[in-house]
Amino acid sequence: MASTALTAPAAKDRRPRWSRRRLGEHLAGWGFVSPAILLIGIFGMLPVLWSFWLSFQDTDLTSPGTFAGGAKYAELVRDPLMWDAAKRSAIYTVLFVPLTMVLALPIAVLLNQRIRGITLYRMAVFVPLVTSTVATGIIFNWLLNPQFGPVNAALSKAGLPKQGFFQDPNQALFALVAMTVWGWLGFAVIIYLSALQSVPKDLMEAAALDGCGRLKAFRHVELPLLAPASGFLVVWLTINSLQLFDEVYVTTKGGPLRATTVLVYHLYNKAFVDFDGGYAAAVGCVLFLVILLVTVVQLAISRRTSFYEGR
Amino acid sequence: MRQPSGRRITALVTGVALVAGLSSACGSGGGDAKKITFWHGYTDVQAETITKLVGEWNGAHPDQKVDPVFSNNDNTLQKTLASFVSGKAPSVAYQYGSSITALTGRHQTQDLTSLVKGDPAVDWNDFFPAARQGATVGDKIYGIPALVDNLGLVYNKKMFDAAGLKYPTPDWTWDDFRNAAKKLSGNNKYGWAYVNDGTEDTVWRFLALLWQAGGDLLDSANKKAAFNSPAGQQAMQLLHDMAVTDKSVYLDTGDQQYLNLFNSGRVGMLWTGPWDLGQINKDVSYGVQYLPGKATHATISGPDYYMLFDKKAQKTAWAFLKWLTSPQVHLRYATQTGDLPLRASEEKLPGYKDYLAKYPGNKVFIDNLSKNVTKARPNIKQYPQISQVLGQAVQAVLLGKKQPQAALADAAKQVDDVLAGS
Repeated sequence: MASTALTAPAAKDRRPRWSRRRLGEHLAGWGFVSPAILLIGIFGMLPVLWSFWLSFQDTDLTSPGTFAGGAKYAELVRDPLMWDAAKRSAIYTVLFVPLTMVLALPIAVLLNQRIRGITLYRMAVFVPLVTSTVATGIIFNWLLNPQFGPVNAALSKAGLPKQGFFQDPNQALFALVAMTVWGWLGFAVIIYLSALQSVPKDLMEAAALDGCGRLKAFRHVELPLLAPASGFLVVWLTINSLQLFDEVYVTTKGGPLRATTVLVYHLYNKAFVDFDGGYAAAVGCVLFLVILLVTVVQLAISRRTSFYEGR
Repeated sequence: MRQPSGRRITALVTGVALVAGLSSACGSGGGDAKKITFWHGYTDVQAETITKLVGEWNGAHPDQKVDPVFSNNDNTLQKTLASFVSGKAPSVAYQYGSSITALTGRHQTQDLTSLVKGDPAVDWNDFFPAARQGATVGDKIYGIPALVDNLGLVYNKKMFDAAGLKYPTPDWTWDDFRNAAKKLSGNNKYGWAYVNDGTEDTVWRFLALLWQAGGDLLDSANKKAAFNSPAGQQAMQLLHDMAVTDKSVYLDTGDQQYLNLFNSGRVGMLWTGPWDLGQINKDVSYGVQYLPGKATHATISGPDYYMLFDKKAQKTAWAFLKWLTSPQVHLRYATQTGDLPLRASEEKLPGYKDYLAKYPGNKVFIDNLSKNVTKARPNIKQYPQISQVLGQAVQAVLLGKKQPQAALADAAKQVDDVLAGS
């Protein structure tokens, strides 16, 4: 900033050269970002627009479709399977997001200590996040196998009844929540940890000098300063949980008895099992709008309740 | 990594569609007639054998070369459809029998009727009936058999001995089967395993039960559900009695653990086919028998096919397939891989004795082909939807969430709706 202000008068005298240089800078800048813009445009934006167009068509995705107007949207509203799937997505999100965050915060606080081997602990928490979903799915299928899995073995050793987990229509969605919370915990911990580490030391010292205990300092100084991180996590985790698919695909395939057929899995079934491309695209578009709406509301709330430094 | 997966799916949907838009400009390409592409999903010993055979063919036919390409096992249909869109359809592709009706509507799919009927050397009637039926939609032939199989009863002899049970006989009844399963169960062991993921894997074993009880899936015109019948009732009841009442059935989620459990002596009996025999551990002594029976001992076959998708490459592709599925060549292939013979005449070839000596377990499956494979799934384009409905019904009964009667009635109503086209 300061340097611009200093050089500005000099630039005034030799204006043509300055702006030519500026133009050059602009071009160079655009040159640098254009590959990214092109790629995002082709592989990001274009498909989004295309799927919007597709949602007004009756197409099996391979032969040319016919224009269907809003028929696919009407079908979707009437489809009881879609409403069931939406309900499951909602239940999943309402459980997954708060659970992940509530578990992540204390872990982040624990990991924000100067103790021997802290890097190792931090890594251990982060590992599930970088484990491939397929591997996670296979491991949880084994852990939660109702007949021979170690979890049920432990339960019966403790005198508790064996559970059905992924095999039981009443439990499968909750088992999925447990598995994905485990998988995403590391992500939330990292976000909280970095937020904790950016809490200014002087604030904490000031609190300590004022006779504030460790717990109170956390409650009144650190926690409010974590609000932006929490806001980000709510938005990010909600988006991801509404788009849940991989984990379902590698564990239950939407079953048993559709108990884990969440919205995107329903979309997949429609597109690649029933080959009803228009309907699937319509589900995608509605989901997009829902996520947009939820995100806007969440951001608004989080802005109003967050403290940002220097504000 | 764990990026928003929903977006990936949407991108996939639109990607396919995008290509659809572009491909109209490109026309249908797909290799010149000098060298044709051959998509398959063979792995291990099958891949080795097919590679060797193709090499042999290419050596003898420098003008009609075949280029084998591993495509996939699970998503062959999806990949083939995508290839139509991109204009790069394979000349020949291995397809599951259940995919035929999804492919027959496409202009890329070649009608083989005149080729098959016009060439006595093909000897079409030499193929087993189930394989011929599955290749035929209406009165047209769309595939040449690549594999036939069927379900048999595979049992662990040691577990039978330990339970003091006699080995299954060819005239075993459902009651014998249920009682044996019950005796084998308990103490973390199960008499039987059933794939309970609601897919066709769940459905086809039920179809065998339905046929054994003398029932049928649809009426003769394929217009209405026919399984909500006394036979359907008995079949569902057996599943209910074994899985819910006796708890003698291990319900497999679709991750194919049943085979590991069979190997480790935790599951006593399987209803499976020759493809699983190769994966049974050497130290497990097992026997193979016909499926138990009610009115009949009907089993079900799931034939797969080679299909042609490129008119320009048709001549070469046809010549190659005729050679590959001829009795002598196929018996050589089967002797390496343990596949069942495709044709009745393979049993008369001199090499057949060696084949049987190498795969003694296959004898029952081969006899099944002429004795107990009496019916086939209806070859209609609504079958995948019907299969989904039945998959849910069978699953509901196995999990004890629905009574057999209610599950059948609900499913029949849904199937009627599907067939009525609503």
